Amino acid sequence: MGIPAAQMLAVSRYVVKQRLAGRERYPLVLMLEPLFRCNLSCTGCGKIQYPVQILKKNLSVEDCIHASGECGAPVVSIAGGEPLLHPQIAEIARELTARKRFVYLCTNALLLESKLDLFQPSAYLSFSVHMDGPRPQHDRSVCREGVYDVAVSAIRAALARGFRVTTNTTLFDGADPEQMRRFFDDMMELGVEGMMISPGYSYDKAPDQEHFLRRERSHKLFSSMLESPRRSWRFNQSPLFLQFLMGKRDFECTPWGNPTYNVFGWQRPCYLLQDGYAKTFRELMEETNWSAYGHKSGNPRCQDCMVHCGFEPTAVRATFDSPRAMGATIAAMLTGRL
Amino acid sequence: MSDARLSELIDRAFDHRGYVTLQRRDGSTLVGYVYNRGASHLDVLDEAARQRLQIPLSEIADIAFTGEDAARKAQQIWERRKGALEPRDTPAWGGWKESGPLLLVVALERELRSVARALGVKAQRGRVRMRTARSDVIACAIGMGGGSRRLIRDEAPRLVVSCGFSGALDAGLAPGALVLATAVRDENGDVVAAPDPQRKAAAAALRGLSFFEGELACATEVATTPAEKRALARPGTLAVDMESYPAARAAAEAGIPWVGLRAVVDTVDSSLPAFVRESEDRHLRGAFRHALTGPRAVAQLIRLGSAARRAGDALELGLRRLVPLLATAEAHP
Repeated sequence: MGIPAAQMLAVSRYVVKQRLAGRERYPLVLMLEPLFRCNLSCTGCGKIQYPVQILKKNLSVEDCIHASGECGAPVVSIAGGEPLLHPQIAEIARELTARKRFVYLCTNALLLESKLDLFQPSAYLSFSVHMDGPRPQHDRSVCREGVYDVAVSAIRAALARGFRVTTNTTLFDGADPEQMRRFFDDMMELGVEGMMISPGYSYDKAPDQEHFLRRERSHKLFSSMLESPRRSWRFNQSPLFLQFLMGKRDFECTPWGNPTYNVFGWQRPCYLLQDGYAKTFRELMEETNWSAYGHKSGNPRCQDCMVHCGFEPTAVRATFDSPRAMGATIAAMLTGRL
Repeated sequence: MSDARLSELIDRAFDHRGYVTLQRRDGSTLVGYVYNRGASHLDVLDEAARQRLQIPLSEIADIAFTGEDAARKAQQIWERRKGALEPRDTPAWGGWKESGPLLLVVALERELRSVARALGVKAQRGRVRMRTARSDVIACAIGMGGGSRRLIRDEAPRLVVSCGFSGALDAGLAPGALVLATAVRDENGDVVAAPDPQRKAAAAALRGLSFFEGELACATEVATTPAEKRALARPGTLAVDMESYPAARAAAEAGIPWVGLRAVVDTVDSSLPAFVRESEDRHLRGAFRHALTGPRAVAQLIRLGSAARRAGDALELGLRRLVPLLATAEAHP
């Protein structure tokens, strides 16, 4: 499994603490979007379509630290937009890691190599590089030639400098399972710590509306891709979540598991849907009608969603809910079988 | 307008990824981006995206969709160029390029340490990189006489500061004196004048410190004897170094303003040991060899060490004043 033991231990300690405190809803990962602007226009992204004045806005370092403190989640995923376009991104990462938050800085890596000097390698900091598959597929997905090669070069440079590096891969309809398996081999050969995979969410604001995966197609794709996984593959995710993607488990969404903070405030209800904003984290948790979201709610926007930000927290929760699920997780980690 | 019609407009405004114009019942209008709605109000970010306003629904008479929907535009662009990828050489900043960094060019690691102390960071692998509130600052040690042309090309800075140690060519300059370049001259007599706005800003920043304004001569080898220094001296030429001219020339040719700041190590009448002409990594061995030649050499080394410390301290002090001002001034022309 592509998560360091210290991080697993810290997250487990946090979960146990929440459960002992009797908290029914608690966050696992803060999705921090310090800006919306990006240097790519990916086909499946519905995150960056705003007027220019809004795209130019940045969360301050203080905003980011305050949001992390309010939320309390042990892991912070810095997304966007492209975080490396933020003028104070290194300071944000440094302040968060100083507070012992495990930071995943999500980046398309176009600027990573030139900005590595700004960062210090740390057990708390990982660059999560956007890689949507092998070269032709990735370049098609990000709508620009050569981005795969730039990202590979940046990954090599970051690893050589002692940084933790993971990949994050969003899959769309038409992905070839065999090519993806070879892609996993390539990433492992590069030396990344772990890989994160997820089907794309069908943003209604995304440019390409034709290639989002529906639930059954997702099951089929992930089953073919992850069937007989190679022992060398390391996923930076819960094995139960991967089994959910393969259709082997049925989970309900945990929309509060990865709360999102950006230039508008705390996004309701989750990273993917925008039903407004709360001013404080407490207001988000206490005043959101959570029953209106998730597969069982009947909300049409949730029906095909299988994205990690909603279901990974469920998988983690399930692991702690029953000895059987805990056993399945440990077995998958030890054997590499899903 | 009926409540149903207003409710429909509010739904649309909330979904619209662009500006809307709210017409209030008192006749006033407000252009902004609707990012949130409550049971009895809308949350709006004003057109400049600076101010958050809460508008009671009871005040809204009408909503016009006056701004382009960014999501719709992205979808139209996607439809138009379906399948065609952006070319490989599309700028990595994607149209969001920040203004370039402030680039400080020094020759020696020892000089870089003064720069790093001034910036409050540590030098790593011959380089310092940090960010002030408004700007990236990069400092590089390029070696004695090193070419800064490639560095300037790669970093695309908005301002180059060539700084470091120098030898005095004027009898009035003691170790630790700072020289702000009005121009730099190479051995062939070619002169590059310092751009006035940046030089004046630098002079203002250094006010209160002991500094002199004048020309810098640039040699291709360290001038170690009084005779060599006097041969380089011209009226108005205050000090000699080996890097300011190539840096100023490369910056000027790239259309980038530059500032030259030097701290004097050796006076015009003093001699330097010959090993200072060697590369920096050989200086320790050279100093040891030199010390073995006798007590006078040891005394010379002690004097040189003390002078270099004074020059390093002066350079640090000068840069402490200079960098914040230049970074701020350039970021906000």
